[in-house]
Amino acid sequence: MTISIIQILLLAILAGICGIDLYNGQIHIHRPIITGPVVGLILGDLETGLIAGASLEFVWMALVPLAGAQPPNVVIGGILGTAFTIITKQDPSIAVGLALPFAIIGQIITISFFSFIAIINPWVDKAIEAHEFKKYDNIMFGWQVTYFLINFIIVFIPLYFGAEQSIKIINAMPQWLIAGISAVGGIMPAVGFATLCKIMYKKAYLPFLVVGVILSAYLKLPVLAVAMIGCAVALYDYYINDKIEKIEESMGDNLYDGI
Amino acid sequence: MMEFKNVVTKKEIRKMLWRSSFLQTGYNYERRQANGWLYCMLPGLLKIYENEPEEMIEVAKNHVTYIGTHPFLVTFVQGVIISMEETRQDRELINSLKISLMSPLGGVGDALIWMTLLPITAGIGASIAMGGSIMGPIIFFVAFNAVHIFLRLFLMDYGYRLGAGAAVTLKTSTKKISRAASIVGMMVVGSLIPTYVKFSLPLTLDVGNEIFNLQTDLFDKIMPGLLPILLTYFCYYLLTKKKATTMKLIYLCIVIGLLGGLLGIYKYVPFTF
Repeated sequence: MTISIIQILLLAILAGICGIDLYNGQIHIHRPIITGPVVGLILGDLETGLIAGASLEFVWMALVPLAGAQPPNVVIGGILGTAFTIITKQDPSIAVGLALPFAIIGQIITISFFSFIAIINPWVDKAIEAHEFKKYDNIMFGWQVTYFLINFIIVFIPLYFGAEQSIKIINAMPQWLIAGISAVGGIMPAVGFATLCKIMYKKAYLPFLVVGVILSAYLKLPVLAVAMIGCAVALYDYYINDKIEKIEESMGDNLYDGI
Repeated sequence: MMEFKNVVTKKEIRKMLWRSSFLQTGYNYERRQANGWLYCMLPGLLKIYENEPEEMIEVAKNHVTYIGTHPFLVTFVQGVIISMEETRQDRELINSLKISLMSPLGGVGDALIWMTLLPITAGIGASIAMGGSIMGPIIFFVAFNAVHIFLRLFLMDYGYRLGAGAAVTLKTSTKKISRAASIVGMMVVGSLIPTYVKFSLPLTLDVGNEIFNLQTDLFDKIMPGLLPILLTYFCYYLLTKKKATTMKLIYLCIVIGLLGGLLGIYKYVPFTF
């Protein structure tokens, strides 16, 4: 079946809204089980949309981010997967194969976005420095609009130009760029932690910082475990200091007499 | 007995609850949810520091450093921290408590929400939808969000009461409690660095008839997580001693990553099923 430009625009807007819901709002209208029937309604085949969405839901349920490899984007995969199922009149399991390259591209572009959008941070700091919190809110709104557009475009292109044509564009993307951008996302938190340390660090606390590093670097302990150990250490430190204080009080001035 | 005036009203709490849904606005890999966190806290903070613009700027700066937590459970921390801001607790105590609460909550939330609540509700919904019933998506939407919204509302209230209840105790022995919180905070920060900074140099050199991998044969043998720790220290050094701006450090990261990609040090790993 062929689809009209209005249907394509509606699907792209749906992708933009769901893209926002994936990270903000999170009432989970972005899951394939919801987007499936909505895509079905837009394309005039609710029943197929419903079933395709449900089977795509099972596909993405198994895709959890493991060991740094980000799963394909659930918004793009769900919407395009269902749309291709209805358009090509095929089984959802075949249609998801068509949608998958775009879902992967969606993930790669999201990673790039999260890396490069860090350039708003100096701008954010400037707004704070000037006590312009309206402007601060506007920058945050701009972030949402940008991410809306990203999802909008990723769904619009394959529906407008056709899946096969668009995959050619994807394959033309240089691999080194994708690899480099993915690496940036891993490197950047170092800057965040450096800023955090600048605010929190005091020489007296160096031993505890070192212990925290060792527990996670060597023993691979999760943060929760380290926080629990931290509580135990802090309690011990608290009681010891309390005791010293009491001893000093009870001895009063005599403590330092004759030394 | 000390008394505290309540400046944060129901109105600000309601606004903060609404904004809590936007914790991940302004998200980026440098400070993760910190931009969004300040966005969530602004209604309360602006009310508390209404007549102290200078103080407000300082407070805001302290809140946009690094935050990584679960987007639903965050309202608990919001409640605790806003009550502490309201009662003017020690800054060091607030900073330490914030990071010590947030980071472990992230892991708890992942297990509780993303790995339990979501698969269960979506699984039930999808099974019903497979039979062609529109009730599938509806049941999923209602069940998931009932828990979701309950958690948000309950945790904000609980956190705020907890913080307000402890206010006097915290204020009277600030020094000792600040020290205890800082110890936990510093250990958590230490743990976050090798966990979240991913920086390696998997360069392979041909030495005679053996292949020498710079990462696995040298750096990992010295200490796991050596490069992330050194990189973080280097950024800290540039930030404090060389007065570098965050902007320069962000560009530095982009250059390192892209250069690594261009030189073929970093390989693209496609997702496999």
